[in-house]
Amino acid sequence: MSDLSHIRNFSIIAHIDHGKSTLADRFIQHCGGLSAREMNAQVLDSMDIERERGITIKAQSVTLDYKALDGKVYQLNFIDTPGHVDFSYEVSRSLSACEGALLVVDAGQGVEAQSVANCYTAIEQGIEVLPVLNKMDLPQADPDKVRLEIEEIIGIDATEACLVSAKSGIGVEDVLEYLVARVPPPEGDRDAPLQALIIDSWFDNYLGVVSLVRVKQGVLRKRDKIIAKSTGRAHQVDAVGIFTPKRLETAELAAGEVGFVVAGIKDIHGAPVGDTLVSAKHPEVASLPGFKKVKPQVYAGIFTISSDDYEDFRDALSKLTLNDASLFYEPETSDALGFGFRCGFLGMLHMEIIQERLEREYDLDLITTAPTVIYEVLKKNGEVVQVDNPSSLPDPGEIDEMREPIARCNILVPQEYLGNVITLCVEKRGVQKDLLFLGNQVSVIYDIPLAEVVLDFFDRLKSVSRGYASLDYAFDRFQAASLSRLDVMINGERVDALAIIVHHDQVQYRGRALTEKMKELIPRQMFDVAIQAAVGGKVVARQTVKALRKNVTAKCYGGDVSRKRKLLDKQKAGKKRMKQVGNVEIPQSAFLAVLKVDG
Amino acid sequence: MSLLQLPPLGLYVHLPWCERKCPYCDFNSHEFTELPEQAYVDCLLADLEREIAFAQGRSISTLFIGGGTPSLFSAGAITRLLQGIAARLPLAAHMEATMEANPGSAEAGKFAAFRAAGINRLSLGIQSFQATQLRILGRVHDSDQAHSAVTAARNAGFQRINLDLMHGLPQQDAALALADLATAMEYDTGHLSWYQLTIEPNTVFHKRPPLLPVEDELADIQDAGEAQLLAGGLRQYEVSAWAIPGQECRHNLNYWSFGDYLGIGAGAHGKVSFTDGRIMRYAKRRQPEAYMQAGADDYRAQQRWLQAEELPGEFAMNALRLNAGFTLEQFSACTGLAAGALQPALDSLVERQLLVVSGNRLTASPLGRRFLDSVVAEFLPD
Repeated sequence: MSDLSHIRNFSIIAHIDHGKSTLADRFIQHCGGLSAREMNAQVLDSMDIERERGITIKAQSVTLDYKALDGKVYQLNFIDTPGHVDFSYEVSRSLSACEGALLVVDAGQGVEAQSVANCYTAIEQGIEVLPVLNKMDLPQADPDKVRLEIEEIIGIDATEACLVSAKSGIGVEDVLEYLVARVPPPEGDRDAPLQALIIDSWFDNYLGVVSLVRVKQGVLRKRDKIIAKSTGRAHQVDAVGIFTPKRLETAELAAGEVGFVVAGIKDIHGAPVGDTLVSAKHPEVASLPGFKKVKPQVYAGIFTISSDDYEDFRDALSKLTLNDASLFYEPETSDALGFGFRCGFLGMLHMEIIQERLEREYDLDLITTAPTVIYEVLKKNGEVVQVDNPSSLPDPGEIDEMREPIARCNILVPQEYLGNVITLCVEKRGVQKDLLFLGNQVSVIYDIPLAEVVLDFFDRLKSVSRGYASLDYAFDRFQAASLSRLDVMINGERVDALAIIVHHDQVQYRGRALTEKMKELIPRQMFDVAIQAAVGGKVVARQTVKALRKNVTAKCYGGDVSRKRKLLDKQKAGKKRMKQVGNVEIPQSAFLAVLKVDG
Repeated sequence: MSLLQLPPLGLYVHLPWCERKCPYCDFNSHEFTELPEQAYVDCLLADLEREIAFAQGRSISTLFIGGGTPSLFSAGAITRLLQGIAARLPLAAHMEATMEANPGSAEAGKFAAFRAAGINRLSLGIQSFQATQLRILGRVHDSDQAHSAVTAARNAGFQRINLDLMHGLPQQDAALALADLATAMEYDTGHLSWYQLTIEPNTVFHKRPPLLPVEDELADIQDAGEAQLLAGGLRQYEVSAWAIPGQECRHNLNYWSFGDYLGIGAGAHGKVSFTDGRIMRYAKRRQPEAYMQAGADDYRAQQRWLQAEELPGEFAMNALRLNAGFTLEQFSACTGLAAGALQPALDSLVERQLLVVSGNRLTASPLGRRFLDSVVAEFLPD
C-alpha cells in the first residue's frame, strides 16, 4: 500500500456569483500555478462564452502543490463544477472524483437552493463538506446569520467555517489549511491493476479525445495499453499528465490522483463520460459505477435559413457533440423550414449557448423553433408515446390522455419576497408541497409543470425577488393534464414549426399574445398577411399585417445604375435572412416569438 | 459570353454646377464662385476625344446635357460644346438633343440661343408650382418663375418640353399634389416626369429628415395621379415618365432598353458593349476640380466589366421599368445570353402575377409595377 496521505481531491460547490472562480484563481496564485502575467481573470472558464457570461459549463481540473504550515507539501487536485442549474448534472460527476468539497456561500446573500441540492449530492456520496463564507469584505456580510442558515437548511456544522474574501485575498491560506486538515486523503492500491473513472472527455483538434480521469487503483503510464470498458476497444496511452492549470505531461498518474489521459481516441464515444479505463492486461477488472445518463429537458428544432448550409450545420453539430455529450440531435423535416435537426438541451441556457456557438464559431444563420418539453401521450389503443415535437402529436381522435412532465422545484427566498414568489408559482400552475421558515429565508417547494419552468421561470423568479430567490428543480413525474396543440396559420397555411402545446386555460391568452407578437415581427409584404392561432381547426385569435402599398424606386437616373443596384442588393440580402413560408417571408425572430410571450 | 449586337449609342454630358445645392439632391452637383465654362468645355471635348473608339462606327442617336444646372452655362459655351461633339463623332439625322434647365429668369433669356445651338428638347426642373413646397425643397426659383419658364421655352420655339414634377413633398396632401399635377398638365407639353420625393443618403434631408406624408397618403397620391394623367391623354411609358405617344424621351428610353451611352463630364457614367460580348460600365471623376485636372491622366475613376451572372439583374432593373417591358430577343441581343438565363426568376414571378409573359414579351403586371424593386431583386445574383 503506497502513501497517498499528501493528496487532497476537492471540488467547490457554489452558486453563480458567490465567488467560486475568484477563489480558485487565488488558490492557483497562492500555490504558484501561474505567474501574475499569466493570470487571466478566471482562468478556469476557458470557452469565450463561459467568460462572457460568467458561468462555468465544463468541468476542469487543476493540480497544485501546496506547502502547508506543517512543512509538508500536499498535492491539491481541484475539480471544477458548473454553477448554473442547467448544468447541475455535471456536479455529481466532479464530486465523484473527490473526497472533499468546499461549500462557498456569499456571506451577504446566504444559502441558495442549488447549493443545497449539490450539498445533498455530496453528502450522499460520502464527501466531507467544508463551509466557507466568502465576500467578507462587503459591508452587508453577516456571518452569524449565514452560519445559522447553513446549519438549519443544509444541516452541517458551520461553527468552524472559514471567513474569506477571495477578491481581496483575505483568509485564502486558512481555507487551504482547513482543506489539508479536514479532507481525508484518497484511498487506493497503487500495486493493484489499473481502474480509472472518466470524469469528462472533450475533443481537441490536435490530440483527439482528451479525458479527465480519477485513478481509483493502479497506475496509468505513457505507452500502457488500456481498454475502455464500455467499448472493449484497446488503445495505447500517448500521454498522461496534470493541469497546473497549463497542461503538463507527467510520467504517470497513480491511484488517488486526478489528471488527463490522451490515447489516440478519435471519437468522443470511444471514451464516454462515466466509463472505466482498465489495463489491457487485466480486462477482467470491474467497471466503476458510472453516472446516470442525463436526459435533455428541452427540445427545439433548429434549421438553417439557407438549405445550402445544411451539410455545414450537420458537421457543426457533430463537432459540438464531441465536447458536449448532453447535446442530443436527430434529423427533422419541417414543411415550413425544410431539413434541420431536432435538438435536445439540458435547459434554456444550454440551448442559448449551443445556438450562439453554432452561429459564432461555425458562422451559420439559423432558425430555432419554440422550445418544448417531452409530453407523454396515452393513445386510445393503449399505446404510450413520448412526444418531443408539437407537430408530431397524434391526431386528437387517437388521444386518450395527455400527460405533462412535472418538476419538483426547491426555492429558497428571503421572507420579504415570499408573496411575489408564491404568486409567480401559482401563475405557472404550481402546486405547493412544502413551506419552511429557516432563519431569514423560506424554503418553498412547489410542483410546477416542467414546460413552465424551463421557459422563463428562472428569469421571472429572479426579477420578482430582486435576484435573491434561488431555484433547484428536477423532473418528478408525468401527470395527466388538459393540453392542446395551438397551431399558427399564416394566410391559411398551418406552419408546423410554429405550433406549441399549451394548457387549455391558456389557449385564448397565448393565442392572442402570439398573434400580436407575430404581427409586430412579420414585415409588410405585397399582400395582406393573416396570422391566425387555432386549436383543432377552431380559430382563437387573428391579426392582419396590412399589405405594403408599393415598393419601387421612383426616379431612376438612367446613366448611374450603381446606387440603385446597391439598394436592391441590400434588399436582397435582407430577404436572405427570412424564411419563405408559402408566399410569405417570415424573419428568424418570428419563430421565437412564442418564447417572448409571457405565459 | 457569346457575341452580341451593338445597341444604339447615346451621349450624356454632365455639367456639375448649381447656384445652390438642394437639400434632397444626391446628384453630382456643386456650388461655385466662378463658372470655369471655357476650360470645362475643353475638358469635355478632350474626354470625348478618348472615347471615340467606343462608338465602334455608330453615330450618336441621342444627346442629353444634365447636371447640376446646365442652363447656367452661356449659349456660347453650349454652342462650342455641340460643335465640338459634331466634329468628333457622327450625329444621327434628327438627333434628339435634350438639355436640363432651371426655371429662373436668367436662364429663360437664353432659351432661344440654346435652341439655335442645336438643343431641340428642354427639360424644366419645375418640381412644384406651390411656394411652400418650392421653399422647403430649397429651390432657387419661385412659383411665378416656374410658370413663366414654360412660356419662355414655348416662345423660344421649343416643340418638345418636359416638366419635372415631384410629389410626396413635406406639407403636401393629396389635394395639393394633384393640383400641382393639374397645373403642369394644363401646359400640354406632351411629356411629364412625375416622381415621388425619395430621401437619399448623403443629403441634407437624410441628416435632418423632413416630415413626409404617411405611406397611405403617398400611395393615394400615386393612384389618383396616375388616373389623372391617363385621363389627360398622357400614357405612362416608365415608372415615372408620361408622354403623348411619340413624345417619349428617346435618350432615357435607350438607358431603359439597356442601350449604350458614353458619359463625359465630372461624375458621368457610361456603358459600352463590344461585339465580342463584353460589356463595360465606367464613371468619371466626381469632383469637378479633380476631373478638370485629370488632364493627361484618365478622366475615368472606375471601370468594370459586367459578369454574365449579373446581366439578367442589370437588364431587368432597367427594362422592366418600361411599361412595354422587353422581348426575349432584345434580352439576348443586348446581353449575349440565352433567354434561359432569366428562367430561374420567371416561374415564381408569373405565378405570383407580378410578371406577364405574352408570346416573347415580358412585362411587369400593374401589381408588379407597384412592387418593381421586389420583382427586380429576384433577377439579381445571390
